[in-house]
Amino acid sequence: MRFSKIVLENWKNFASVDVPLQRRAFLVGPNASGKSNLLDVFRFLRDLASVGGGFREAVSRRRGMSAIRCLAARRYPDVRLYVVVEAAEGSPRWEYDLRFNQDNQRRPIVREEKVSRDGMTVLERPNDDDRKDPERLTQTYLEQVNVNEDFRDLAAFFESVRYLHIVPQLVREPDRSVGLSHDPYGGDFLEQIAKTPENTRNARLRRIRDALRVAVPQLGEIELWRDARGAPHLRGKYDHWRPQGAWQTEKEFSDGTLRLMGLLWAAMDGTGPLLLEEPELSLHPEIIRFLPQMFARVQRRLRRQVLISTHSPDLLRDDGIGLDEALLLRPGREGTVVKPASDLDEIRALLQGGLTLADAVIPQTRPEKAEQLTLFGDL
Amino acid sequence: MRRLITSVGAMPGNVYGKKGKPHIRVKIQGYNHAARHSSWIVLVDLDHDADCAPLLHQEWLPHPAPLMCFRVAVREVEAWLLADREQTASFLAVRRNLIPGDPELLANAQETMVNLARQSRRREIREDLVPRPESGRPVGPAYSSRLIEFASTHWRPDVAASRAKSLSGAVECLKRLLQSPQSSGSWPTPSSASARPCEPKRSQRLSRTCRRPCNSEEIA
Repeated sequence: MRFSKIVLENWKNFASVDVPLQRRAFLVGPNASGKSNLLDVFRFLRDLASVGGGFREAVSRRRGMSAIRCLAARRYPDVRLYVVVEAAEGSPRWEYDLRFNQDNQRRPIVREEKVSRDGMTVLERPNDDDRKDPERLTQTYLEQVNVNEDFRDLAAFFESVRYLHIVPQLVREPDRSVGLSHDPYGGDFLEQIAKTPENTRNARLRRIRDALRVAVPQLGEIELWRDARGAPHLRGKYDHWRPQGAWQTEKEFSDGTLRLMGLLWAAMDGTGPLLLEEPELSLHPEIIRFLPQMFARVQRRLRRQVLISTHSPDLLRDDGIGLDEALLLRPGREGTVVKPASDLDEIRALLQGGLTLADAVIPQTRPEKAEQLTLFGDL
Repeated sequence: MRRLITSVGAMPGNVYGKKGKPHIRVKIQGYNHAARHSSWIVLVDLDHDADCAPLLHQEWLPHPAPLMCFRVAVREVEAWLLADREQTASFLAVRRNLIPGDPELLANAQETMVNLARQSRRREIREDLVPRPESGRPVGPAYSSRLIEFASTHWRPDVAASRAKSLSGAVECLKRLLQSPQSSGSWPTPSSASARPCEPKRSQRLSRTCRRPCNSEEIA
């Protein structure tokens, strides 16, 4: 299953968005244009559907309605998220439509919740029960097992979304992010690896090692290792002049090595949509260049959707990136506008003229007056 | 490229370029300058920039340095790959007789490669090499990595050279470079740990048209 379309109203940076999504998508835009906020839509849906989540929790994790609602919105309009989920042919096509706002006590309130399957309405709220008892509108049906029976596949799909933005420092010092499970920043990355059944884990670590050899040729083996207190560590054996080589743990791994390990692990872990935040960070341009093709092949094998935010020209230089896979974010006074590169004639013309996608797209997302940053030095 | 260099018994050095043909065009004088002291090979696709390779040669690099081997693939490096018909057929999982016998005559060898992949018996080949109709790109999502994989494993430059004149010219040029007394004296010496004792070549690799600027650098 994958998200094939997303419509937003008044969500964070976006006053209005309506874009199709491919199996792989690259979000490109200047700083603070809302790349992460666009990915956050899928995390929000995941929060709605997951254990320990739910509507109120999902809103409060984002610090309330006022932080969610677009600044460009006038007065207090509803926030709307609408997604279409498709799978292979023969499987149902789902639509999920949620409008929400807050009540007088600033509690988040569902205004409308609709689910349809192959165009047939499965759920439409507010219904009679909601009118009788408005308190019910503080929860979505999606999050409740006793009422989401007809669309539980959809809820399970939302729950399968994975987000990753590994911060190497957190992997090295997991104490900084206590108690988080599936911490996208890597706080429980080692714990996650340790929890994986041994055979699967070893197979994955072997594959990661093989892939990593391209980037870090001196890395011989990788394994999970527990210290005297039982805390899990990743350790790798580096070949050097000593015949035995030397073992190093994640504390000594370079930022690039750790991030690449996290990326490769995430690619193999799970089958739901994978959201990646700037996977190019700390990596060599030659490695970055092949990330899109690596994800294309992961995508083909696991049928898993990959949504990637990026600033990297090296990544976008790949010829295999479809124009409909590159989503351009352009901030404006009325919120950020999102468009697939395939909708822009100018980009098509530039590519036909021989430019790469990176050459055509990066200037479009360049912040105006970026050069003024240098003035900071004279302040 | 790496494969070509190893096939004549040499070791490739650093690879430059990879940013498309215009990039190489800008930098070629720099590479040529370096080729006064060490062996260099520069490879570009002819595409439709000139009618024949010598013309492009004339235009780009009228005065090559002694250790410069500037080669032009006619018309695209895919033609060199297609020239090994048996291996290409088994890599693409198509019938051998579908593969054109004279690849250098193809106006667009890349398109031919993609169209052959379209007929592949293997789903992963079709999905990796053939673009989705809506993508607006000439190649599929993992086209260049697949070709690099093929070129560095199953492709046989010696066999392909018999069907592609520009390739056999490149192989000859490399062999000459290897035998030239000048070059042997000027190869980087193994002073640093990374330089291998018999490293003769610094290769500069092509990357062809701007249309597909960064793919297939290591293809040949």
